[in-house]
Amino acid sequence: MLRKSAPSLLTLLALAAGGLAAQTPRDSALSAAVRARSSDSLGRLEVPDAAGRPVAAATARDDAALVQAIEHQIRCTCGCNLDVFTCRTTDFTCTTSPAMHQLVLARLDSGLTEAQVLASFQRQYGEMIFMAPPKHGFNWMAYVMPYVGLAVGLGLVTAAARRLIHARAAGTAPAAASGPPPAAGSPEELERLKRELERFEA
Amino acid sequence: MTEIGNIALWITLLLSAWTVVVGFVAGRTHRPELARSAERSIFVMWGLLVIAAVALMRALLTHDFNVEYVAAYTSRNLPVFYTWSAFYAGQKGSLLLWALVVSTFGSIALVVNRGKYRELTPYVAATLAIVVLFFTATMVFASNPFERLAFTPPDGRGLNPQLQNPGMVFHPPMLYLGYTSISVPFSFAVAALLSGRLDTGWLHAIRRWTLTSWLFLSCGIVLGMWWAYVELGWGGYWAWDPVENASFLPWLTMTAFLHSVMIQEKRGMLKKWNIGLVVGSFLLSIFGTFLTRSGVISSVHSFSQSNVGWFFLIFLVLAAVLGFGLLAWRWPMLAAETKLESLVSREGSFLFNNLILIVIAFSVFWGTLFPVISEAVRGTKVTVGPPFFNQVNVPLGLMLLLLTGIGPLIAWRKASPENLKRQFLWPVTAMLVTAASLAAVRMTNPWSIVAYALAAFVVGTVLQEFVRGTLARHRLHAEAYPVALLRLVGRNRRRYGGYVVHLGMVMLFAAFAGLAFKSEREVTLKPGQSVDVKDPYGDTFHITHQGVSQYEQLNRFVTAASVDVLRNGKYVGTMKSEKRQHLDSLGRPTFEPSTEVAIWSTAREDLYIVFAGAVQGTEEAVYKIVINPLVWWVWYGGLVLAFGGLITLWPGAQGPTAASRRRAEPAGYVAQVGA
Repeated sequence: MLRKSAPSLLTLLALAAGGLAAQTPRDSALSAAVRARSSDSLGRLEVPDAAGRPVAAATARDDAALVQAIEHQIRCTCGCNLDVFTCRTTDFTCTTSPAMHQLVLARLDSGLTEAQVLASFQRQYGEMIFMAPPKHGFNWMAYVMPYVGLAVGLGLVTAAARRLIHARAAGTAPAAASGPPPAAGSPEELERLKRELERFEA
Repeated sequence: MTEIGNIALWITLLLSAWTVVVGFVAGRTHRPELARSAERSIFVMWGLLVIAAVALMRALLTHDFNVEYVAAYTSRNLPVFYTWSAFYAGQKGSLLLWALVVSTFGSIALVVNRGKYRELTPYVAATLAIVVLFFTATMVFASNPFERLAFTPPDGRGLNPQLQNPGMVFHPPMLYLGYTSISVPFSFAVAALLSGRLDTGWLHAIRRWTLTSWLFLSCGIVLGMWWAYVELGWGGYWAWDPVENASFLPWLTMTAFLHSVMIQEKRGMLKKWNIGLVVGSFLLSIFGTFLTRSGVISSVHSFSQSNVGWFFLIFLVLAAVLGFGLLAWRWPMLAAETKLESLVSREGSFLFNNLILIVIAFSVFWGTLFPVISEAVRGTKVTVGPPFFNQVNVPLGLMLLLLTGIGPLIAWRKASPENLKRQFLWPVTAMLVTAASLAAVRMTNPWSIVAYALAAFVVGTVLQEFVRGTLARHRLHAEAYPVALLRLVGRNRRRYGGYVVHLGMVMLFAAFAGLAFKSEREVTLKPGQSVDVKDPYGDTFHITHQGVSQYEQLNRFVTAASVDVLRNGKYVGTMKSEKRQHLDSLGRPTFEPSTEVAIWSTAREDLYIVFAGAVQGTEEAVYKIVINPLVWWVWYGGLVLAFGGLITLWPGAQGPTAASRRRAEPAGYVAQVGA
């Protein structure tokens, strides 16, 4: 496998893991099957079951932008927490997402629009079929509450700060304002540099 | 040996109960002999838990399949490397690891602070003992790693293939180290509240612990992302799964604390808030485990639900009552020593930074629990997945990025207009130039443009701080530039380490913004057939299917599909994606086939190819091909972030600030520079 991805240390450790492997029996049932069928199976896998669930050839329709867009919005009901497109192209043991994919294709073939296909899934499975809560009624709470929290927090911080700042009231001198920059190499400039360095190192 | 381990757990249980009682009595009565007893008990607990851990490890390595845990998570042909990691692959082992690490960190904290904070240490020992008591009781009464079977199976079930990955060897321990090390700051916070010693002394004791926790959590999270990316095969690294969120929550509150604690050290403000953050971080670290074990939320990580969820819930409630109850009790003693002079100040920017971090934490917490809330209120189940979290958190994240740049530029107390003009000129210029450049190259995603512009702003602020500080040293001390830079950093590792962390965060944000340009497709190819895939930069990958081969390797049977890849006509390499059918020691298939992804990674993008399956048992292969821009920046951003954290933590770095030491001195603490 050509893998240039990040921490090379981890890759080395992976190799070390392989090197440290416990002894593996050389004559597994699967290997025996390979030897038995190797002469007459050009172009066919010796042990198809070892490659996971058999898949059908993906067509351009399976990969269409509209199909992807719909399937990214609905959740596979197998319990994986992934959307249908991601699950059916990732989890090769799942039979639920391929079936849901076929449903999407069938409903599009019957002339339904994207919104209608999504609505049909909602009727079938309820709101939990969507990857995010639909924006209506109580579900708005999910979207709004973080920003309500932000607004309340901003209000509290600002109010508390104003009160504290007012409590200091008059008589407190503001931070010193800087004047025009001193000439290069002058004692004033050296003093300024010292002050600046103190600020950086403080 | 497992019997010895079991006995060690029981003795630890009794001893931790003793330590809780004796520690609190010692703190209350100031009896030194009881305080010594409490401290020594923590050391003995550590020794006992080491014995228990060695017993479990021995059972794992010697394939003692009569032990239920060993039979459930290992097999004879599991590589030793992964047999070692099976220690924490399951719930029972991870509980033992948690207890062991708490006692280890507790012992170190007591040794490091020996002779200091005398009024706090008995309470610290007692609080740590409560945590150990909880984990030991959970093991002994509900989830014992030494539980034996009525028979001895000839082989174990083996380790889940997805856990047989180096990322999974390091990711869980890192997270555990992060979670468990929060117990030390929590214990000191409880001790400060109980003893009434609420000046900055206790903060000095926990400064390195909070940084350590944060660093472990950061590394654990990034390693988890790496594991998910290379092992799970869905083409991403963060799915907003409830358990991912649970690890993110304490990281957010710890990050907030690391900023707000500076205000307390420097200005004597935010005392209540800081204690609240420490207590909250500890509770959130327990909350993560509660989510995993209770099954209250549907998660891919909820593979080991059991009744220990109730133990965690009860402990969570008790710890919250203890922590926040004590905070309420001591509320009047936690008044600020100075007043805020202006919101346009370092303090002001840290306040807003804390606010945004806590709002992000709230949004993640709220989104994670919303399915439960919706079901309770409406009786309707909903799913809260990535689209929700991205929509809510992207604007908040960008606000945080903006504040990451603003914070270091503003003076403490009150910034003058001249100060603001001088500090912001170049970073703002960098931001505007970046935004204009991206618009000029027709980048259309507004969020990404804002993210990259803000990233340029933050990089500008950090570089400006390094450049100005180095120049000042060079001109004042006539040091060569590299020497001036190193000494500048060496004189204030906390500050400049923090800036390096900010650079790491910028790299992470840049990577996250690149997700907007991710593309994925599914293709079917016969041997010799090709497909062209365009990346967001306009380059074309020409991918040719070479065929599928099958062979046996280590403890698995491999089906490998290979493709040759050219970019713009130039050969890149051969990439191989695999399906792995793991076998037991008798050669029988175990678990479902798992996937190994092929990844070609550059700083610009990743070409991510998944062998989705063979068509009707032939060499015709279905591939999922993903173009993932800027993923490289996640891993190296994580490294930069960890490097910055190490600079801050490095021994010899200055300790508390002079202002902070002054605040501790009236209480009679010994605050050592470099401690």
